[in-house]
Amino acid sequence: MPGPSRNHLIIGLGALAFAILMLLVWIPLDTDTGLIEKVRRQVTIGDAAAPSLAALFLLAGGALLVTVELRAPHQMRIRRGTVIAAGALFAAAVIGLLLMRYSGPAAVWLTNTITGGGLDYRLLRDTAPWKYTGFLLGGTAMVGAMIMVMERRVSLRALAVALLAVLAMIAIYDLPFDDLLLPPNGDV
Amino acid sequence: MGTLDYIWLGILAVFQGPELFTLFGLPVPVTLVMILGGFLTGIAVGATPGLAGPIAMAIALPILISVFGYTPDALLPVMGFLIGIMKGATIGGAVPAILFNTPGTPDAFMTTLDGHPMARRGQAGKALRVAHFSSAAGDTFSDIVLILCAPFLAILVERYLDLPEKTALLILSLSFIAAVIGASPGKGLISMGLGLLAVYVGSGEDFYPRLSLGTSTLSQGFPIATSVLGVLIIGAVFHELAGLWPVAPHRSGATGRDSGDQRLHAADIRRLLPYISRSAVIGTVIGALPGVGSTLAATLGYTVGKARHARRGSSDGLKFGEGVPEGIAATEAANSSVSGANLIPVLSLGIPGNAAAVFLILAADSIGGFNPGPSVFRFTADVVNPELVVAFGLFTAMMIANALNWTIGGLFMRAMGIMTRIPKHMLLPIVLLLTLTAIYVQEADMAMIWFALGFGVLGFGMRLVGMSPLPFVIAFILGDKLENSARQAFAATGGDPWFLFTHPIAALFMAGAAGILIFTAVRRKPAA
Repeated sequence: MPGPSRNHLIIGLGALAFAILMLLVWIPLDTDTGLIEKVRRQVTIGDAAAPSLAALFLLAGGALLVTVELRAPHQMRIRRGTVIAAGALFAAAVIGLLLMRYSGPAAVWLTNTITGGGLDYRLLRDTAPWKYTGFLLGGTAMVGAMIMVMERRVSLRALAVALLAVLAMIAIYDLPFDDLLLPPNGDV
Repeated sequence: MGTLDYIWLGILAVFQGPELFTLFGLPVPVTLVMILGGFLTGIAVGATPGLAGPIAMAIALPILISVFGYTPDALLPVMGFLIGIMKGATIGGAVPAILFNTPGTPDAFMTTLDGHPMARRGQAGKALRVAHFSSAAGDTFSDIVLILCAPFLAILVERYLDLPEKTALLILSLSFIAAVIGASPGKGLISMGLGLLAVYVGSGEDFYPRLSLGTSTLSQGFPIATSVLGVLIIGAVFHELAGLWPVAPHRSGATGRDSGDQRLHAADIRRLLPYISRSAVIGTVIGALPGVGSTLAATLGYTVGKARHARRGSSDGLKFGEGVPEGIAATEAANSSVSGANLIPVLSLGIPGNAAAVFLILAADSIGGFNPGPSVFRFTADVVNPELVVAFGLFTAMMIANALNWTIGGLFMRAMGIMTRIPKHMLLPIVLLLTLTAIYVQEADMAMIWFALGFGVLGFGMRLVGMSPLPFVIAFILGDKLENSARQAFAATGGDPWFLFTHPIAALFMAGAAGILIFTAVRRKPAA
């Protein structure tokens, strides 16, 4: 039988350490004004005061967890499977986003290589079909891969669902609006 | 301008606002159509396990803003749509709870206890009618309390609270939320501290953007949509999916074929009313407290109803949990009456108490021209206060949504059983992409998508260790307000660093803030 969960102890100590680090290192080194600032004989609250309050809340929360709430019942136990699944899902999302970001420019580069043309993705990012390349490929990959992770098998059905969903999103966000740009076309 | 003039202007703002089309020669105002659209969307979303009102609000908001723009005319149609979603989702959650023993929203869990046994006995239609009637009654009651209370509370705050007291009130509200949301005040405080930390990155009054680590990316700070949607929606999607993994195809409890009389008669209503009225009061009181959610209201309403039912007995010999309509009524009236009352702290104090309220504040913040808080309820006589007109316009929108609920809500709700057939593990990745797209179309910057994903991981981690992300979100929204209020109070008291403790009411609020945290932590300590 597993021993009692040390969830509160670990989170509490982590919060205490982070709060102390914030108060002693991060806030003093990364703000230009202190807790209270004197400007032209007028005393005002400096930029360090509000983050210090945030750190004090973290400190108080951590202190409560390692003292009063240390042996609180029903502390959450983290399931290994949940973390593994979340890691796989997160990886699928990241791969999908990378594909979304780079597949449009890559398609233009490939076209230029084959045809010898001088297309520039930046100039084509609001022109069909280029503007859909990244979102369609990246979005389909992201949604499809996540469904496949959940089902633990490669399936065409997952890809078809993902493709349909992405097409529907294009219909919702892009077709009716001239001023909205699908990712990644706003800042490529 | 008197009070009645403002109420009338609010009603006119809805009915005489921009028209969308004409029907039989009559102009149909856009706000009315948006309330209807939001309400129907809300029912569909609430009836879909894995989706909830806030997810639909998050996805709809950037689209609505693109359609209506950033003008004051956009406020009522956009917020009307969001209010419609909020109300629709409340009744929609009961559909899968009754038909498939799967609550569509967390607060509908108690509905499964009596709703599903009724459905198995062939009384699904009647169970849905009871849920709809109780939900609509609780919601309407709560809205009436909101309309009567919010202006008075706001006037009291404006009249009696000065800057130090307002700062202390914000700290008290944040402490209360940290203490009551979730199972641990310690974790609530950490969640809140992280929210404040996040909002203070890259902001401040000095030339150097604080806590930016010298990077240009962090010097802009985190946009509100990025962090709120990341922690609240993306974190929830990852947590829900990881909890489902690996997906095992199964069918939750099947229902029996409807048999016998499914209608709700006057005698049924008379029998249910004592349960509905008690739960409506419980839900409204709980809803008025920021941070205390509808799940607790549903649990309390059900417990009180169960005690009454056990005392009085029933003619059919059934108890709570065995499929009695009173159980559904007690739960649905309680969880639905939270939604209106939850807007009391939003409109009167500017403090969001739940996720739906967060999105209403986000909408107001994005569009501009309406800052929820005590200043809204300034009944100026000489010049028109446009914010007060919008507030009464919102009240009108809520009443229209209630009218829709009473008339077509039940019919639409009963048709939504099909939504439960959508597999969650396919729906949630789509929700993730929709949310990321919603963030991108607002910010047009891939860095914001990465930030949102990062906040999503934070939200997932918080849920994994049993820490509610709601204090984070509320602290993020109130962080700037807290700092500005403290700066003004400090200046107004002549640079008194102890301004929170030298003014009696402020000191009382601060004592309350410390007291609620210590009391909650000690009360939850296990017996030695």
